[in-house]
Order: sequence, then C-alpha cells, then structure tokens
Amino acid sequence: MQQVFSIPKSIKQNSTFTFCPGCDHGVAVKLIAQIIDELNIQEDTIAVASSGCSVLLYNFLDVDCIESPHGRACAVATGIKRAHKAQGNNKFVFTYQGDGDFASIGLAESLHSALRGENITAICINNTNYGMTGGQLGPTTAMGQITTTSQSGRNKEYHGFPIKTAEHIALCDGTSFSARVALYDVKNIVNAKKQIKKAFEYQKKGLGFSFVEILSTCPTNWKLSPQEAHKKIEDELTKIYPLKVFKDVEND
Amino acid sequence: MIKNFIISGSGGQGVLSIGSILANIFMLDDLFVTYCTCYGAEMRGGAVNCEINMSDKEINTLQNEKVDFVIALNQASFDKFISKVKENGTMIVNSSLAKIVKPRDDIKYIFIPFSEEATKLGDIRMTNSIALGVLSKILGNFKLENVKKGYEKVLSSKTELIQKNIDAYLLGHNLK
Amino acid sequence: MSEKVLLKGNIAIAKAALNCGCSCYFGYPITPQTEIGEYLSAKMQEKKLAYVCAESEVAAINMALGASSTGAKVMTSSSSCAVALMQEALSYAASDELPIVLVNVMRAGPGQGYIFPSQGDYNQATVGGGNGDYKTIVLSPSSVQECADMTYKVFYLAQKYRNPVILLVDGLLGQMAEPITIKDNPYPNIDNSSWILNGAKNRASRKIHSLEPNPSILEERTLKLHQKYLEIEKNEVDWEEYNCENADYIITAFGSMARIAKSVADYYKTKGLNFGVFRPKTLYPFPYDRLRELSKKTKIFFDVEMNLGQMHKDVCQAVSQNSQIFFIGKPAGEWLKQDEIIKAIDNIFEGQYATSI
Repeated sequence: MQQVFSIPKSIKQNSTFTFCPGCDHGVAVKLIAQIIDELNIQEDTIAVASSGCSVLLYNFLDVDCIESPHGRACAVATGIKRAHKAQGNNKFVFTYQGDGDFASIGLAESLHSALRGENITAICINNTNYGMTGGQLGPTTAMGQITTTSQSGRNKEYHGFPIKTAEHIALCDGTSFSARVALYDVKNIVNAKKQIKKAFEYQKKGLGFSFVEILSTCPTNWKLSPQEAHKKIEDELTKIYPLKVFKDVEND
Repeated sequence: MIKNFIISGSGGQGVLSIGSILANIFMLDDLFVTYCTCYGAEMRGGAVNCEINMSDKEINTLQNEKVDFVIALNQASFDKFISKVKENGTMIVNSSLAKIVKPRDDIKYIFIPFSEEATKLGDIRMTNSIALGVLSKILGNFKLENVKKGYEKVLSSKTELIQKNIDAYLLGHNLK
Repeated sequence: MSEKVLLKGNIAIAKAALNCGCSCYFGYPITPQTEIGEYLSAKMQEKKLAYVCAESEVAAINMALGASSTGAKVMTSSSSCAVALMQEALSYAASDELPIVLVNVMRAGPGQGYIFPSQGDYNQATVGGGNGDYKTIVLSPSSVQECADMTYKVFYLAQKYRNPVILLVDGLLGQMAEPITIKDNPYPNIDNSSWILNGAKNRASRKIHSLEPNPSILEERTLKLHQKYLEIEKNEVDWEEYNCENADYIITAFGSMARIAKSVADYYKTKGLNFGVFRPKTLYPFPYDRLRELSKKTKIFFDVEMNLGQMHKDVCQAVSQNSQIFFIGKPAGEWLKQDEIIKAIDNIFEGQYATSI
C-alpha cells in the first residue's frame, strides 16, 4: 500500500499544534515543513520567529530557531545570515512573522532588508488584526473591519488606511520575489506551497530578499466559524488584497 | 614637566596635520602626549583647532584652562585664544592674516607672516609647517629623524608633499 | 605589534575589535563614536566580514543579536541617546544569554543633548534601561591604551558569561589621541559549540527564546541568570587604586575623570595632604567590598563625575556609615577641569559645600 500522507520530517515528533481551531497558522507551518523536507535543508536552516502567534513556530518546527524582539525578525535574520557568511557558511535563514510584526512595528527592518537585497526569506501571516492580544486594529485591518480598538469599524478619519505589504515589498530593488497567497481551499493551498517554495529556492540561488504574504484566518478574533472565516477571505479579503505574484526576478 | 599647546586656524590651513605631526614627534621622543582635535560647536563655521599636552610623566590634566603655547594662523584664532595663553606663555601668530597688536603684556608674542613665507616658497599650503618649524626652535631641537617620521605617518597618503613640508619646517626653524 | 602609534580612542577600539576576531559589526552613525564604524566599514569589507550600515540603532542591535546566536564575535557601537534605543534588545540578549559587545561613547543628555563629552550614562549602563531582572557587564577605560585593552576584555567576558557587555567610554576619550601599543589579544576563545545556532546537523534542533509561558520555568530561568550575575560579581570586579592605602581623603571617579582626579591628588600632595584616587574599572560589577574596606581607614570621600551624581549612590552604598561623602560634578558642557575640582574641594574644606559646581 502506498503512503500518501505523513507528518513532515521537519515537524517535531509528538508535537500538537496549539493554534486556535480553524487558524491557518497550522497549515502554513506544515507547508513550510514540507518544503524544508523537499529542499533537504533541515540541517542548514535557522528560523526566526517573532512576537505574536507566529512565535509558536519554534515549538513545532524541528530546525534551529531564535525568537526575535517584536518587529525585528528581518534584522535578526540579517545578522544570522551575514554572520554565517563571514564564517564561510551558507545557511538557510527565514523569518516567520505576523502582519503587525512585519508591516507595523517592524516595517523599517522589513523594508530595509528588502532594499538591501538581504538574501533571506520572510513569511508574513496576514490575518488583519493583532491576534495574540485579542484582536486589535493592525496595519492590515480592512476598511470597515471591526476590532476591539475599532469598535465601529476601521475608518479613514480615525485610523487611516491599511498597508498592502506584498505590493510594497515588490517595489524594492533588492526583492527577488514577492507574492500574496491564501489558504482557504485546496487549490490555493497548493499554490501557496508553490510560491513559498519558490521564495525559498530564490534564497538558495542567492537572488536576494524573497517574500510571501499569506492571507490567513483568525476565527477566534473575527468571531466566525472556521468555514465562515475562510469564506470571508475568499469573498472579501482577496478583493482588497489580491492573490498575485507581484515580483519575480526570474520571470519578469 | 608638562607643556601644552593649542594650534588654531581655519579649515584648509593644515591645523590638524601639524597638530598630529607635533604629537607624533613627542611620541617618537618617548614622551607622554595627548592630542585632542577640537571637538564641539567650534568645529562649525570653518574654525579648526587642536590641543596637545606633552610630558615626561603620565598626563592626567586632560583639559586645560590655559596653555603654554598658542599658534594662531588667522585673526579669528588670535582673538579666540589670546585669553587662553598662560602668564609668560607664548602666542605665535601668522601676521599675514592677523594684525600685529599686543592686547596682553604678560605673555610673549612672535609675529611672523607665515603665509607670505609659504608663498615665497612657492606653495601657500606650507604655512602650517613653517609655523611648526618656528615652534620647534622655541622648544629646542627636535630630532630631525623624528620630524621626518612624524610627517611620514601623518602624510602617508600624500607622500609627494612630505619633503616639501620638511623643507618648510626647516625654513621656519631657521627663521630670524 | 609592539610599535607605538598615536590613536584616537575610537580607532583603538575598532583596531582591537578586529584583532581579537570580531567578525560582525552593525551600526548607525552618531557623533562622537562614528569613527569606529567608519574605520571598520573599510577593514571589514576588505576581509569579507559582516558589516551592515543598519537602518537604525534598533536594527543594528538586533542584527547583533542574531549574529551572536551563530557564535560569531559581534559588536555594535553608538552613543547615549541612541544607546537608549537599544535597551530592549539588551534585555532580550541577557535573557537569551547571547554575547553582544556594545560600545557607548557617551555624549551629553538628556534627550538629544549635544556632542559634548559627558559621563551621563552611568545609570543607563549599570542599572539598565531594559525590562526585567537582568544585568549588563560594564567596563570603563580611562586612557586610549585601556580602550584597546578593555576591548579585548569585553569580547572575552561576553563570550565567557554569554551576556551583553558594555564598554562605556567618555566622549573625550573616544576623540582624544594618545600613543598606544596594540598588543595581542591575551584572552582565550571560549567553546560555544553547545548552544550556537548553525543548523541541526547530527544533533537535536535548538531554540533560543525569552518567551516563557510556564511560570515555574520562567522563575527558574531568571534565578539561573541571577546566579550567573552573582558569579560575575565574585570573579570580575576590577579597580585601580592610586595612593589609597593610608590616604586621609579618597577621590572616587571613573573613566577619564579619574585621571583628572589623579592630577588633583598630586596637587594636594604638594600641599601636604594625603589624597588617593579610587577608580572602578568595572562599573558593573562595582567594587563595593574594596571601597568599604578602604572606608575603615579613610573617612572623607569626594566623588567626582561629569554628571550630577550617578556613581555617587554606589559609592554611598559601599563606604561605611562613619564616612563623609561629598559629591563634585556638573552636567555635560565644558569638561570638569583640575582647578575647578580643587576649588570645589577647597570650598568644602572651608565649609562651603555645594552639591555641584
């Protein structure tokens, strides 16, 4: 009998995801683990997790991990990548961050890593709110979206506008790859894996900063069922945040 | 025995070059020396100065209210540092760019038109080295070997200027 | 290696860092320490080492944090108001037990202040501006020679204790040149193979983190850090004494101010008064015990600082209750000179005590 599914080698043995039911973090972590296995880079990988739900990565992924202060993941990853290079080692370094981490408190570090063409990969989970602290307005909260700090919905007078992260990163000359993907159905999950893998491969090829923004659910804070949350992504968020490859140096 | 010096002028007059050369000469003579390039608001607006302490013992008075010698390469420097000269100290002045006036009678003055002497030598940029030569004469003879080494250290990226500067230094040393 | 060279403190630090194998520097310009980064930018590129012109001091110290997790010898340098920006990462590095060397060439504060030389960051360095129960080792040089020698030592201590270490330098010293000898690094390399992140090859994967949701594990970890600090306090206290044995008066001062204090002590010697100078070389750990011992004989202390009394509280804590401590200091601006200190001490002798001049 042929085995068609197994837990990736790069997921820690006997670990159980502690993400909320219906949260896409679990899918994203699994995809990353599968790609690490497929590229055979488990022994060379150093992951940088940051503050928020994304920090839990290091409990599940079986690679060397460091936690960065809030927002500084790309700076920490820069240090790791460059320090290894100075010692003659080529290690695979990626960050795993939330949208608040990558695009709000850490925007300077993120953008400048892209501008420098830092040869690292950043994965940004965009769930349109600060999840771990209970769902506050973040840099990607959509116009009209209700959060605990925008209780009548985001409006331009009070809160201003959200950031389209993947589009911004694509504008940086040092960026090799920038895409936005989603995980609301099998087709999109397959595509997400393809794009993340490409981002990883671009780092392996030394092409510069590679980036994937993943539109993700936050059922707990959105106060929706997992099904409703995924439907919200499909129906609403993809209209605001189109799923697209915004930059690809090998194919542009 | 501690001696201290202020060298001052405007940007481009080579103040820091001769300051550094003087400090190197002291170092090569196995003396203790501290060398401070002017550090503070005075850096702005083109004024440049540096302060040098020299002693046969460890130097602990790092900043001085008054100094033994001031070299003023222009009028602004003269005006600024005249009050910093110790009683019986010496003010060495580039009279090409400063008036010959003696506002204090408790200090010694040496007025020499350094800029003119440098022009006579064919290069206005040698003004500073002539002044250093004059100072060397007052302090007693530096070992010429150390003077050369000092110039070599400081002008390592402009080697073509070393000999010219040493000639200017010697001219200053032999003036009067 | 033994030839004397005339160097600024900043350049001496940069040269010594390269000499002892610093392979990563991350920095952002700020006067009066910029020469460190300028010098290293050229040299490190030549040697294919890691040098990043960071987008901010926050990024610089976090790059240092990442780089230090690889076992590399890592340095960043900055000044006062910008070191304030780095405090968060220092707390993380202490918690993560990562060896980072931070050089702070002090300028005047508070706030942006100005580039005048100052000693206003004693509290920032020794007490720390980050959160939680953590400590940073702090060394304070008083000459350009010591700038170089202590650079070797801060790298060694950082590796030895896996802790951030600050070299706290007076702005005056960073900018002043003195003849020095760049010696060989006297310290051994520390084996770091048991904890660095270099890929989980033939070993279990490792994680370095400060987040800890389990209260008993967090408590245990913090207590373990505390034990390490006690060990540092036992092993690494360092100071200099200048005529302190049998002195009737002792001046306490750190950094280059201690040299000016020596010139003051020399002056009073010519007046027949027995003055000593006590200079902590490590500001954390502070030499409480030795100062306490000296205060059994010496009853009058003058604490001289280029601030409004920051080390003063440590001196007060150290000396016995029977001693009198007078503070002489002033905020940054013009450097406190020998004759100003003498005037202040003379005034104190005449009973006209003012807390600052």
